[in-house]
Amino acid sequence: MENVIEVEGLRKHFRTAMRQRRVEAVRSVSFQVARGEIFGFLGPNGAGKTTTIKTMVGLIRPTAGRIRIQGGEPGKLSVMARIGFLPEQPYFYDYLKPQELLDTFGRVFGLPAALRRKRIDALLAQVGLDHARGRTLRKFSKGMLQRVGIAQALLNDPDLVILDEPLSGLDPIGRKEVIDLIASLKARGKTVFFSSHILADIERLCDRVVIIDRGVVRAEGTLGDLLGAGRSDKEILVEGAGTGDELAALPGVRRVDQIGAGVHRVVAAGDRSDELLRYVLDRGARVTGVTEQRMSLEALFLDRAFEGPQAREAE
Amino acid sequence: MTGAFGGTFRRIGAIARNTFIEASRNRAFIGLGIAAVALVVSSMAISGLALSDQRARVLVDFGLFSIALLEVVIAITMGVILVFKEVDRKTFYVVLTKPILRVEVLAGKLLGLLAILALSLVAMGLAWVLVLWLRDVPLPSDLVQALVLSWFQAALMTAIALFFSAFASPILSGVFTFGAFLVGSMVPVLEELLTLKKGPLATNPAARFLAESTVSLTPDLSVFNVGKELILGIPVGWGYVGAAGGYCLAWCVLFFGLAALVFERRDFN
Repeated sequence: MENVIEVEGLRKHFRTAMRQRRVEAVRSVSFQVARGEIFGFLGPNGAGKTTTIKTMVGLIRPTAGRIRIQGGEPGKLSVMARIGFLPEQPYFYDYLKPQELLDTFGRVFGLPAALRRKRIDALLAQVGLDHARGRTLRKFSKGMLQRVGIAQALLNDPDLVILDEPLSGLDPIGRKEVIDLIASLKARGKTVFFSSHILADIERLCDRVVIIDRGVVRAEGTLGDLLGAGRSDKEILVEGAGTGDELAALPGVRRVDQIGAGVHRVVAAGDRSDELLRYVLDRGARVTGVTEQRMSLEALFLDRAFEGPQAREAE
Repeated sequence: MTGAFGGTFRRIGAIARNTFIEASRNRAFIGLGIAAVALVVSSMAISGLALSDQRARVLVDFGLFSIALLEVVIAITMGVILVFKEVDRKTFYVVLTKPILRVEVLAGKLLGLLAILALSLVAMGLAWVLVLWLRDVPLPSDLVQALVLSWFQAALMTAIALFFSAFASPILSGVFTFGAFLVGSMVPVLEELLTLKKGPLATNPAARFLAESTVSLTPDLSVFNVGKELILGIPVGWGYVGAAGGYCLAWCVLFFGLAALVFERRDFN
């Protein structure tokens, strides 16, 4: 499948004030995004997500590495005409009304007046700001500014939409609307690249994800691959299999909870669960339930993005 | 090529229009505009202090001086924050990621501010004409030329402010630009001092070199000041205005070009 974003060996360092110290914001980032997919970009604060995104949209020049956006270089007019971008916590001109802001950008895109009006009306309705046309942007809440940001990112009907924390600042209803909007973009064949801290939303929406930390890619792949590759535990409910301490001493057992008289919930490593089942059945105990515990994206994120103090010190 | 240039003009026009609308609604500008008109009108009170045969002269001289100075004040105060505000508040993140060149954004911002300066000039000019009319002072024949020249001066100061603000903080940019205004207004004095056979500029080579460099590297703002001509009834032809416009344009292109070079290489962290 055709890649719409290709990032290879991206590096970016900054100099602190007075050029005292070199800060490496991005050390080694490479990934590809295929046309039509929703791609999640994950990482803790300071991981290098926003720096990577800014190099992708031409706001920052990389120190090293190569970026191709829809086959062209970031910043080229023909490339920028086909992408939509929402920065993190967007801010706009205080004294303009939302339709005036969108009109300015529509003029920059070269949209004819009639099409501009039509798109602006449709987008303001889509992001739920129809009622706020009479107000200047300085009177907008953070969530409303986020909606304006989404509207301006979609004004040119882009093939590729790059969203930096699109769900931040939104209330639960707003979040659901934006999630639905992102899903509808995919349904229309658009490619969506977005960063978020809200892992449940990424898990719900994304086809593939990249996890970065301290400027380095820690994991990349489809959610199925990544979560499948992680540990998969089994929760087994047993009755009359002995004491909790006896069960906890068995190989592969991660956790034991007593939930009733002689009834225990045992969490065991997936690859050792058969052994455990044989042991409890051989002892004449009763197994009342077995549930597979799939690794959550959150667990994977914590596992990959925070690999422990030793890993940090080693780097 | 026509299409490419058409696109450039369209994009610059969109940014200029945006800058004009945003600035014209800004309370700071509205306040500054009201103060400017009030200062022009206050020339009525100041003329009352002058001898009766000098009142007309004071009204003309003080009115034009106030307009020119206030245009420069607006140019410097708005010019130094023109780019800084957009970077500081991160509004540039959404503008520069559109299909537009950085130099086009800068040109649009500059043109939008020049339109604001033209608007404030018209407001102050009308207030001045009203004051002259109320005091039965005949309108100077070259009043429009004088106003256009003061706009040229403000335009040049805007370009200088833009250049300094490309790499310095607003306060420093303001100090540098106001310094350039003071030095630019003193260029004829320096030129005269350089012709003297006596004095430090004649005897001290370092001082002479400094003065000569200042005269060469600083725009001569006296070109735009025709207050004396207006009072004495010396005609200021449109030919002179055109030549002064060319002089202004040449310096504006230089300062804008330097600002664009800095802006083009900048990272927006």
